[in-house]
Amino acid sequence: MKLMTIALVVAFAGGSIAAFSAEHSIMQKGKTFSESNVTLKKGDSLLFVNDDTIHHNILSTTPGSEFNLGSQAPGASTPVTFNKAGEITVLCAIHPRMKLAVTVNE
Amino acid sequence: MRNVILRGLCGAAAVGVVTVIAAAVATPGDAASVGQPVVLDTKAPPASLGQLKALYRRPGAIPFPKDNPYTTEKAALGKKLYFDTRLSAANLLSCASCHSPAYGWGDGQAKGVGHNMKPLARRSPTIVNAAFGEIFMWDGRAGSLEEQALGPIRADVEMNLPIEKLLEKLEAIPEYKPLFRAAFPKEGMSPDTIAKAIATYERTVVSGRAPFDAWIEGDEKAIPEEAKRGFVLFNGKAACANCHSGWNLTDDSFHDIGLSDTDIGRGKFLPAVVKMQHAFKTPGLREITRRGPYMHDGSVASLEGVMDHYINGGVERPSRSEMMRPVNLSPQEKADLIAFMKTLTSEMGPTTIPVLPR
Repeated sequence: MKLMTIALVVAFAGGSIAAFSAEHSIMQKGKTFSESNVTLKKGDSLLFVNDDTIHHNILSTTPGSEFNLGSQAPGASTPVTFNKAGEITVLCAIHPRMKLAVTVNE
Repeated sequence: MRNVILRGLCGAAAVGVVTVIAAAVATPGDAASVGQPVVLDTKAPPASLGQLKALYRRPGAIPFPKDNPYTTEKAALGKKLYFDTRLSAANLLSCASCHSPAYGWGDGQAKGVGHNMKPLARRSPTIVNAAFGEIFMWDGRAGSLEEQALGPIRADVEMNLPIEKLLEKLEAIPEYKPLFRAAFPKEGMSPDTIAKAIATYERTVVSGRAPFDAWIEGDEKAIPEEAKRGFVLFNGKAACANCHSGWNLTDDSFHDIGLSDTDIGRGKFLPAVVKMQHAFKTPGLREITRRGPYMHDGSVASLEGVMDHYINGGVERPSRSEMMRPVNLSPQEKADLIAFMKTLTSEMGPTTIPVLPR
């Protein structure tokens, strides 16, 4: 399936979304994140790629690093930059078994 | 095994590292595989059917969270609290009023009935297999069973008892004191320990071994041939397993299945997520023949009616799940699917109602 990169400009505490700067890709096929945990440096990005056949949602409610990407359509990919050190839990609010532990180091 | 942090959208986190009671005699399709949609060719070779059946093997033990491990004292206290009508303002409703063992741990009605006999907005969900749940309530507003346990007690439309009044009432019942001391030697009675005790008891409510389980484990005579065909349809042409997956037959996810009521479900908490408007959590299907009427709004009286809804595909709207689409099933295929679902009901024995503290 052809992937479509969507550049969004969204500001949120502790992070920002920046196009084309992702270093790591997280896939979502079969209602499963391709990684269960990932370690980043402050300022690194993750590219969330919806290679599934259904909509997903990428969300963090970790205080200081909250974000919510809304509906992510099949084929879309969205980069998220993590600008605050700490432990962040990312999940899909549509499919809550999808969880990704993000460790952001200084 | 789950080793993840569970967090509801609007609630406190609960650490979900699991511990177990009872010897693990078999490992189910683990959390990663349980949620996988599987599409099986109806003419699939036996090896594929075997792989598919492995995803439905029941677990050998009940998971309990690390921050609320099982003890017999806690479960016994939780059972008394669960059946105690004094947990409601009117002394008329207990947890068991809406989640009764007599009705597959639901209430058998289209909508729940709360304080002053007023009907509630949604059907009372079963608590069967809640121990294996990822997130709770039809709209997922509770991130843990502990968080869920106090919600209906204090909700003014349900049991209508503010937590401070709940504590006041329970503290005035002398025979509860030693039970709390035994279950929580360091903490005693508190909102937290009341929730932990109820949640612990609820986790012990697990569906019994059903004919389906015997078939999954190799007894070919355990279920009729039409049910076996239904299982293949369930995972193939009818695509039910896209959401009703794994041994408890749920993905613990949220979908708009096109029912025509005005309740927006999880959309209340996720207004920006189109697919969450009118979306509700996929219920498991264990003991399903005891749990009608069906759907979050109780609008469908029978499994035959449920089949008709999925055959038609429901209301077409932007929020409707991509997986909801009309499917052409013959009368025989409908009958096969229903025959399969009937094999998910166990021979549940009677539940003993506890003598309550005075």
